[in-house]
Amino acid sequence: MSAPPRAAPLEGVHVLDLSWVMVGPASGRYLADMGADVIKVESSKRIDPVRTLGPFKDGKMGPERSISYHNLNAGKRCVAIDIRRPEGREIVLRLTRWADVVLESFTPGVLETLQLGYSDLKRRNDQIIMASTSLLGQTGPYAKGTSGVGTMGAAMSGATYQIGWPDREPTGPFGPWTDAVTPRFIVASILAALHRRSLTGLGSYIDVAQAEAGIQFMMPAYYEYAANATIPERCGVAGSPLQIPQGVYGCSGEDRWIAIDASAPTHWDALRTVIGGELRDAKFDTIIGRLRNRAELDKAIAGWTHEQGVEAIEHRLQAAGVPAHVVSGSGNLVRDVDIIESGYLNKINDPVFGEAEIEGPRFSLDRTSLPATRRGPRIGEHTKEVLATVLGMSETEIAQLDEAGLLA
Amino acid sequence: MLDDVRVLEISAPETMLAGRMLADLGADVVVVEPPAGSPGRRLAPFLDGIPGIERSLTWQGLNYNKRGVTLDVSSPDGKALTRALATKFDVVIEAAGAGRASPLDSIEFAPSVIRCTITPFVRTGPKSEYAATDLTVMAASGAPTMTGDLDRPPLFFPVPQAMMEAGADAAIAALAGLIARDRDGLGQRAEVSARIAAMMGSFGQALVPGSGNPEAKRTQGAMIVAGVQVPSVYECADGFVLITIGFGPVFGQMTQRLAKWATQEGHMGQRIAEISWPSFIGDLSARKTSPSDLHALVDGLKSLARSKTKAELAEASRRLGLLSSPVMNMKDVAEYAQYRERGLFASVSLEAGREIDAPARFAQFSNYSIEIKRPAPKLSEHSAEIFEAELGLSKTEIQALFVAGEI
Repeated sequence: MSAPPRAAPLEGVHVLDLSWVMVGPASGRYLADMGADVIKVESSKRIDPVRTLGPFKDGKMGPERSISYHNLNAGKRCVAIDIRRPEGREIVLRLTRWADVVLESFTPGVLETLQLGYSDLKRRNDQIIMASTSLLGQTGPYAKGTSGVGTMGAAMSGATYQIGWPDREPTGPFGPWTDAVTPRFIVASILAALHRRSLTGLGSYIDVAQAEAGIQFMMPAYYEYAANATIPERCGVAGSPLQIPQGVYGCSGEDRWIAIDASAPTHWDALRTVIGGELRDAKFDTIIGRLRNRAELDKAIAGWTHEQGVEAIEHRLQAAGVPAHVVSGSGNLVRDVDIIESGYLNKINDPVFGEAEIEGPRFSLDRTSLPATRRGPRIGEHTKEVLATVLGMSETEIAQLDEAGLLA
Repeated sequence: MLDDVRVLEISAPETMLAGRMLADLGADVVVVEPPAGSPGRRLAPFLDGIPGIERSLTWQGLNYNKRGVTLDVSSPDGKALTRALATKFDVVIEAAGAGRASPLDSIEFAPSVIRCTITPFVRTGPKSEYAATDLTVMAASGAPTMTGDLDRPPLFFPVPQAMMEAGADAAIAALAGLIARDRDGLGQRAEVSARIAAMMGSFGQALVPGSGNPEAKRTQGAMIVAGVQVPSVYECADGFVLITIGFGPVFGQMTQRLAKWATQEGHMGQRIAEISWPSFIGDLSARKTSPSDLHALVDGLKSLARSKTKAELAEASRRLGLLSSPVMNMKDVAEYAQYRERGLFASVSLEAGREIDAPARFAQFSNYSIEIKRPAPKLSEHSAEIFEAELGLSKTEIQALFVAGEI
């Protein structure tokens, strides 16, 4: 029997990535991780703003030193073109003929103005799958001209309002939250469209609004309002009011916390055996008893955790079968055996800054391979290579474009 | 788009979004629950605050567009039924509990089947035996430690998130398997770790030490620039508003327009509007500007925000092109004209005579539309229909399975 084919799922699929910052590039990264050949279009006159975002290698700023940039653009090639000039626009249109998928995240309306909208691209390649992403989408009364970032997406999806302490302003989730949520919906939509195209030859235009994608992860809270007319409010402390004990407890050291969820009866029994002491009190025997004495129970658990090291508690509780985990900071993550042994963090070697680590693919497949994780490209690193091999341009043609200042 | 794809989902909290995304994209999804109902049916909130197997709103929101059967996948009869059913499906999605082998492990799937398994930690890794819940997996993601205020414990979402993160990545993993199969006809096993899925929301916290940087701390959503705490959320006349102050050639322009507007409205001095905000960071190190200028900007914005409503600030944000938006609660989300008129919502029934609009269309397509074709299945709603049509069981046989407690 011959070995089963091992080519990565998207090997041979061509992606033209016109997007920048986070959502679009993260979507392109998923596709690159699945084996697609992704060409990022950038311009040194208008660099991807994510290059100004940390962490920077050794804390020193610089457009080629942003680890966030590498993490979002790993495994892609990069061409530098000024797409606002007619000759640059023509290069994009010619790359559209090569592409199966085009990604873009311009402010809605901008690409149409540049005559690079879906209808323009479709004229060159009628099977193209084009995905646009923006804060509020391409249609609707407030779409055109609206640009935004992931913190705004979080605010408009109902997430920010619900995260914070009741006696203070909402804090919101960490970072530009919808930038982490939205790529999932874009990538799933693109893959579904690729599947349909392989059967029917149909392309598609896909429009994903980042604020709307965020609502998907908040569905239970949205339903609570829609069905029960209750507006969910921020409640601060971790854990559900319906489950006890469940929450985070302080440990020894500065800002060290353990998450413990022993709300299931078997987990509760195990926790009680490990901690003993006050937890043995008969008032904690039943769920109702624990709910009615919640503050006291939480205090007793915190009294046990606060003098111990957080990692030691995790091991001790896990050995007894109690769901518990360090509330991990970056230092915990890089020491975590789950992460180390899975090979999720990959070393990259960059000619500018040397070594750093970036994340690997977000899932594994047991038959088809996934490409090794590589660094992100430098601005325009592959311009000449792509123009020559993908578009078949001669050295003279490329030199002419370069002299005209189009390839920067 | 996935009309030719059939998905068997062995229901768990982590599979729910995966199955629903595939169903929304057109797949025929059958969800398999134990006879007592899926754990997802016990997730809050509940319709009218009254619990019940058909009353979980989390279940309702993550299971529409699917059909449902019950069977006990761990009993010999249930295994036989699952094995027989699996031959009719292209994709099987499951979530293996911590430290326990999956009941599907004893089933030999056809070579064309794509089996997607979600585990809390990496299935074959050193934490595979860990007991885990949504809270502990989120704790491991690196996001909560960065969320909230440093003088208080880290904050978590009030809605379980690890199950959403894992479900969304499982949909992608299953589709990756499907695309590979389109080419060579062969299935495979895909695996998703909920912890790694949830790390996406930590925005690379795990990369901080490896790039030679110190560990960061949570800052109440604020950024610290030159020692100045720049908030992101401001109190306004009728709630809260988010205002992002950015620098550099792209985002700095927006700050410039914001400062100009705040000055026109009388909330800060003309001098602050005349500072070059795109080049502020560079000018700061060249000592052309000082942290007190940033302080003055923030104070002016606090005053500006307090004088305006969410709607007024949203209008100004659109008109001036600012990085600002209302902090919406779920009522605001439900009523927002942009979502309504764009067609985000589709109507779905929760129980007889109770309909709501669900934010169903996570993507809009030129030649496909996500619709809600059926509400979430009632417990065992389609058992008889599916066992008869797919497995050719007779009415007598189906009744016998029910009497024995298998379905």
